[in-house]
Amino acid sequence: MIHLFLKRLGQAAFVCWSVGTLGFALMRLLPGDMAFRIAAGRYGYDQVNLAAAEAVRAELGLDRPAWRLYLEWLFDLLRLDLGDSLVSGLPVLGEILHLLGHTLLLAGAAMLIAILIAVPVGLFAAFRAEGWFDRAALVASAFLRAQPVFVIGLLLLLIFALELRLFPVAGFDGARYLVLPAIALALSMAAVSNRVVRHSAGAVIASAFFAFARVKGLSFAQAFVRHGLRNGALPVLAFLGIQLAGAIEGIVMIESLFSWPGLGHGLAHAVFNRDVPMIQGAAMTLGLIFVGLNLAVDLACHLVDPRGRSDE
Amino acid sequence: MKPLLRIENLSVYAGDRPLLENLSLSLCRGERLTILGETGAGKSILIQAIMGLLPPSLRASGSIQIDGRDLATLSRRELECLWGRRLAMLPQEPWHALDPLMRAGRQVAEVYACVLRQDAERAAANARRDLAGVGLEQAGDKLPGQLSGGMAQRLAFCAATAGGAQIVLADEPTKGLDADRRDHIAELLRRKGEEGCVLTISHDLEVARRIGGRVLVMRGGRPLEEGPAEQVLNAPTTDYSCRLIQAAPGHWPRIERRADGEPGPAVLEARGLAKRHGGKRLFQGLDLRVGRGEILGLVGDSGCGKSSLGDILLGLLAPDAGQVARAPGIARHRYLKLYQDPPAAFAADIPLGRLFADLLRLHRLDASRLPPLLERLRLHPTLLERPAHEVSGGELQRLAIARALLLEPVFLFADEPVSRLDPITAREVVQLLTSVATEHRCALLLVSHDPELVERVCKRTLRLG
Amino acid sequence: MRLRLKPGQRIGAAVLVGLAGFAVLEWLLNAGDPAAQDLANAFAPPSLGEPLGTDQFGRSMLARMGAALRLSLLLSLLCVTTSASLGIALGVVAGWRRGLLDRVLSFFLNLLLALPGLVLILLFAGLAPGSLPMLYLAISLVLWVEYFRVVRAIARGVVASPPMQASRMLGFGRLYCFRRHLWPAMLAPLLSLAAFGAAGAILALAALGFVSVGLKPPTAELGLMMVELFPYYSDAPWVLAQPVLAVFLLVLGLQLLAGKHP
Repeated sequence: MIHLFLKRLGQAAFVCWSVGTLGFALMRLLPGDMAFRIAAGRYGYDQVNLAAAEAVRAELGLDRPAWRLYLEWLFDLLRLDLGDSLVSGLPVLGEILHLLGHTLLLAGAAMLIAILIAVPVGLFAAFRAEGWFDRAALVASAFLRAQPVFVIGLLLLLIFALELRLFPVAGFDGARYLVLPAIALALSMAAVSNRVVRHSAGAVIASAFFAFARVKGLSFAQAFVRHGLRNGALPVLAFLGIQLAGAIEGIVMIESLFSWPGLGHGLAHAVFNRDVPMIQGAAMTLGLIFVGLNLAVDLACHLVDPRGRSDE
Repeated sequence: MKPLLRIENLSVYAGDRPLLENLSLSLCRGERLTILGETGAGKSILIQAIMGLLPPSLRASGSIQIDGRDLATLSRRELECLWGRRLAMLPQEPWHALDPLMRAGRQVAEVYACVLRQDAERAAANARRDLAGVGLEQAGDKLPGQLSGGMAQRLAFCAATAGGAQIVLADEPTKGLDADRRDHIAELLRRKGEEGCVLTISHDLEVARRIGGRVLVMRGGRPLEEGPAEQVLNAPTTDYSCRLIQAAPGHWPRIERRADGEPGPAVLEARGLAKRHGGKRLFQGLDLRVGRGEILGLVGDSGCGKSSLGDILLGLLAPDAGQVARAPGIARHRYLKLYQDPPAAFAADIPLGRLFADLLRLHRLDASRLPPLLERLRLHPTLLERPAHEVSGGELQRLAIARALLLEPVFLFADEPVSRLDPITAREVVQLLTSVATEHRCALLLVSHDPELVERVCKRTLRLG
Repeated sequence: MRLRLKPGQRIGAAVLVGLAGFAVLEWLLNAGDPAAQDLANAFAPPSLGEPLGTDQFGRSMLARMGAALRLSLLLSLLCVTTSASLGIALGVVAGWRRGLLDRVLSFFLNLLLALPGLVLILLFAGLAPGSLPMLYLAISLVLWVEYFRVVRAIARGVVASPPMQASRMLGFGRLYCFRRHLWPAMLAPLLSLAAFGAAGAILALAALGFVSVGLKPPTAELGLMMVELFPYYSDAPWVLAQPVLAVFLLVLGLQLLAGKHP
């Protein structure tokens, strides 16, 4: 149990360090004079002059050796000081917290819809394995999986927003704006996970212990609830850990497509603008969300599976 | 008395090939029947047919009646209602048949709760009583992974019969268990047979003897001979039954045990070996000297470290303490191993002949040595054209022996080399193995869970645990 | 050791061969300039001269699709080759030798897995915007992890398995064991992984193009083409459909070829 926390804690630390280091490298690689650029970010391009740039240079100590700047950079990170955005000039931390809420809302809604689709579809396909429903689910999943998530989003956008005008095209101003991006993300997640549920449940139903439970006298429903659910959940959970990476990637794409004011959009936008502190903050937060979700999956596995617990 | 289970002229076909032909039997209350025969003789098909679990690709004819009702007239639902309540089936692999995530007691208690609709408290109490009845009172809170094979089979026995079924079907219930645990399961089945009836499938004669009642010998899906256990086991009338019964190690000719024990110069000497596994001490301070051409037996309960000891002697596993010294001047590849599962010794999907050719080329051996060796081991040369999984277990084990002998081994560690083979083949392979080892002056360390087998062919026996 | 393809895998292979054939033939026979503009001829419908029509700048869609497919296919091939060689080599060594090297590599692997692949690629894209070599490096860096994990797990199992133990005892060397035991066990899962990896590389490239942080215009790249043509979806839906269909077919073909998910 403690081992789980330590492993994920180590990963979280690595996320911060690696993103921080990349951020530092990015900062040094920016074209043009960094001090000038930061000054421009603060005062706007019109009011920047050499004097302002010099003041910034002195303030940041850019004349000192790189390794000292690097250490200071990391130290700032430790204090959660992510610096100011080069574009808006506002503190990155505040902007990130604002974006984080939107991202969590979208991710939560998408996951909920994905579960509501994948679990019933997967289970029903498994109960009637090789039947018409199973085959239809297989074809639909293969079709959806072959689309990049942004094409699914694009099609939904074309049909439901631009042609039928049922939902708004982009942005965020109320629940109606959530529907299309959440469904697009959910469809891409459910396309894979319904097959995982199907295979996992199918394996359990074909297992020797399930057959034995039936032979003991339990009905199919009793045997499935008592023996199928927990055993079947383990591979699904293990897969969830892998799929989370895909979900985070999907968030970046879908948020960009729908101009959803979240971290993924923020990250892509910042990369486009070369707004290094924002890149760093957004990437780091996405990485930390990923590590946190993985920890949640670990804990769920730990709860479901009594084997190998230290308290045995 | 009305029979509980009655089968008339049952035949099962896979396409046109019969797996089971014209079997008739009936079991009344208090009767026990054990079906003997080599693996693949359609025995397991019989139990599947009785449970109504035949794969749809198979076709059955004849009739099966339970309590006088023909199974063919029952709906699927009515058939499933018999499971656990009238019909119980003991699984072949108890570890796989138990839910790996559910504690032992609950796997029995749920039958009382779900099938007999008892409240949780009573179900738990009944489960505790059942477990205590088979000596598992301490194991109620354990997971199946924490149980030994014998314990898992006893737990499966409790779970299978908790629903009150009186007709018990057991398919090789003692597979892989050592003698004591095997006898315990046989005793449980005998007792159960006094209340209801028990149909057991086995190739272990001792199981048949201990369960008692009647014995039916089958071969190639056809019943050969039926009669009271003592009569069939002591005075079989058909030729095949004779061979089957003679194949039990208890009937093998005994080799002379030479008391003077003057084995040749040592090929392997171990001193002060110790090994722990999973917090359990397997052995400690073990000294062993293996002489040239010596045939040495190694026995002990499953999990006592027999395989570990062999692997340590071969240098495949590091001991926790002690050392193994080989005779000087002998090449490493003259210390070899035979595996329990014959296909495990060969690379998959490659014709065996190519593997043999690889070996001959590697050690620049004379290829003309192979044919006489195959002939000595009664192997047809065309077998080499096939990959390992297309060759029967008995032939494959002999091919493994042939491959080892090509390298003129001085020490062979045979890890349960015949436990996966049926008795007639097993006897043939062990006898060939010991005689060619003697001819080639190769020391043999023979591991078996069957003390009787080792007793018959080894001059010296080492007991672990 | 020959691989037998299942029917689904054959269909996938056929789709891919078709797309690759189109990309190569366009290059050999047509050799149009994907950047040549002809503003007077914007959104020309498909005709004999321009079988796929033209885009908003009157550029030949045939030339652009050919160039974009070549780019996607070559980049994915390069990424898969690089990451597979690296992952297989390190995986075999780590799974076979165990010990310190295995622990060090596994430690780094766990750390690398802490960042979602696309986020890492985005960071690298930020390092050098519009640079193809940087994208290649970033995608390969993300992909090799899978090979390493799978190969290491297989190598561990095979090395400890009785068949290989028997071969070692009979005196066979490492090369023989690799050829007879390890390689046959790895081949099918590696083919699957390579196909999934190639699909991943194609998707990553298109995704970056789509959010405008990948390659820069006027490069003909599938994701970039989608985002550029999207505003004109009602004027010329057939033009927008082309890159969408190309990505769909590429990924579908690769996923069919991969067979079951490893």
